[in-house]
Amino acid sequence: MRNLFIAIIAITAPLGAQWLKHPTAGVPKTADGKPNLSAPAPKTADGKPDFSGIWRAFRGITSRPCPTGECEELRDTDHWLNFGAGMPGGLPYQPWAAATLKEREDQLGKDDPTSYCLPLGVPRLLVAPGFKKIVQTPGLLIIMNERNASFRQIFIDGRPLPEDPQPSWNGYSTAKWEGDTLVVQTNGLRDGMWLDRSGSPITDAAKVTERFRRPNYGNLEIEVTIDDPKAYTKTWTATKITENIVLNTELLDDNCVEGERDMKHMVGK
Amino acid sequence: MKTLIAIIVAALAAPLSAQWLDYPTAGVPKTAAGKPNLTAPAPKTADGKPDFSGIWRADRRIGPNPCPFNNCQDARGTDRWLDFGAGLSGGAPYQPWAAAAKKQRMDQDGKDDPTSACLPLGVPRMLVSPELIKIVQTPGLVVILNERNASYRQIFTDGRPLPEDPQPSWNGYSTGKWEGDTLVVETRGFRDGMWLDRYGSPMTDAAKVTERFRRTNYGNLAIDVTMDDPKAYTKPWTVRVNEVIMLNTELMDYICAENEKDIRHMVGK
Repeated sequence: MRNLFIAIIAITAPLGAQWLKHPTAGVPKTADGKPNLSAPAPKTADGKPDFSGIWRAFRGITSRPCPTGECEELRDTDHWLNFGAGMPGGLPYQPWAAATLKEREDQLGKDDPTSYCLPLGVPRLLVAPGFKKIVQTPGLLIIMNERNASFRQIFIDGRPLPEDPQPSWNGYSTAKWEGDTLVVQTNGLRDGMWLDRSGSPITDAAKVTERFRRPNYGNLEIEVTIDDPKAYTKTWTATKITENIVLNTELLDDNCVEGERDMKHMVGK
Repeated sequence: MKTLIAIIVAALAAPLSAQWLDYPTAGVPKTAAGKPNLTAPAPKTADGKPDFSGIWRADRRIGPNPCPFNNCQDARGTDRWLDFGAGLSGGAPYQPWAAAAKKQRMDQDGKDDPTSACLPLGVPRMLVSPELIKIVQTPGLVVILNERNASYRQIFTDGRPLPEDPQPSWNGYSTGKWEGDTLVVETRGFRDGMWLDRYGSPMTDAAKVTERFRRTNYGNLAIDVTMDDPKAYTKPWTVRVNEVIMLNTELMDYICAENEKDIRHMVGK
């Protein structure tokens, strides 16, 4: 149904407006002049891997059927639907969390915060369908997401996590380098967030660890571990999230509340 | 009033245990007495340009607005938040329809202000909103992060041209060039129907905005904003926006659509 929405946007966009296609600088090339996505990851001036670039969650692996022939462009990622996709037995839900998930699925996810244009939060923003852009500076990494033109900050200047930050959708994130891996710790998440479209809960007890690596020019790999004893019986690590570089384009802001006509139709069962 | 009430309510309703973010800002110049020296020279980037990076707040110390009570600076909006042309002799040079639209909007208590519906501030209004903003300056890109809706704006300083016909948006498409110590930012591609200020000064899709950013010293940013919008104004006009540095703090995300209870009360007259 979302796919229909995409099709409608394509039809109603002003005919004159142009796609943004400024060429990305510094793309490594193969001998025949094509982008060499398997070239080594770029480095920053201080010798760290540089994650800067525009990225999109990889949607090529899935057991779900393709709605049309252009499946890769249209479907969501597995993690977007269920963050535990590919884990044997699925996520280790506490009994109440399993019951909540079932009830949310039965109600077609009508109470998903994103249905009300609320933020994705951490770590869900990694797997959302839109583009995101990483801007990496020596002491700070910013992730900008097309959805609601929203940002997330990750501090890499050595500061400690605050003990009791104001609860929020993105929490408070600090990071340290372990070799070529950036290890990000997040606390201070607000209660009542949804991890995925199915409605897997995440609570204010959650501590999230993300391990970012850029194995080559074209790919980012993120290993997400969630320690949320209120909602899960044990700490778990999701199957690896892969992001693909997106070249020669820019973010186009998507403001969810603009012209919003969907909410009143989301009534569940 | 909205801001004042919101601040008081937020102060009363905040969880008692949550902490303010008070991590010390690095590299603050100090006076002989060890206090922050806000009149010290502006810092420079590695390539010798003025560095605008930091957390900023629109200066609300000046202007004819009445103080609602003591500590007025913290409680009131800036003059430009209410009226972007404040201080111009005769006010902004409205086209007749624009003057009528502004009057009608004021008569209706601004009920149709896009920000009332949690829509974006847009450019240049985001410079004068009551919340904190953070500038992150990298060699080819300046990012402005705004607490309101945890939203970002990009200014490309990598030499790219403005697109001829970008998708209309709240922030438009911005490129910046250095003229000495001044960053001159040109923006095009606005969506139609934006409000420049709380009084409802119109801004149309014909607008071309020029912002001249200078960091006059460590503690202050001066931005000269020129509005060239022949649909809404009889001639281009220029005003100055002042921002003051905010030390030892961080942005706290404000998500307008979260627990929104106001809009149904905004009925005008």
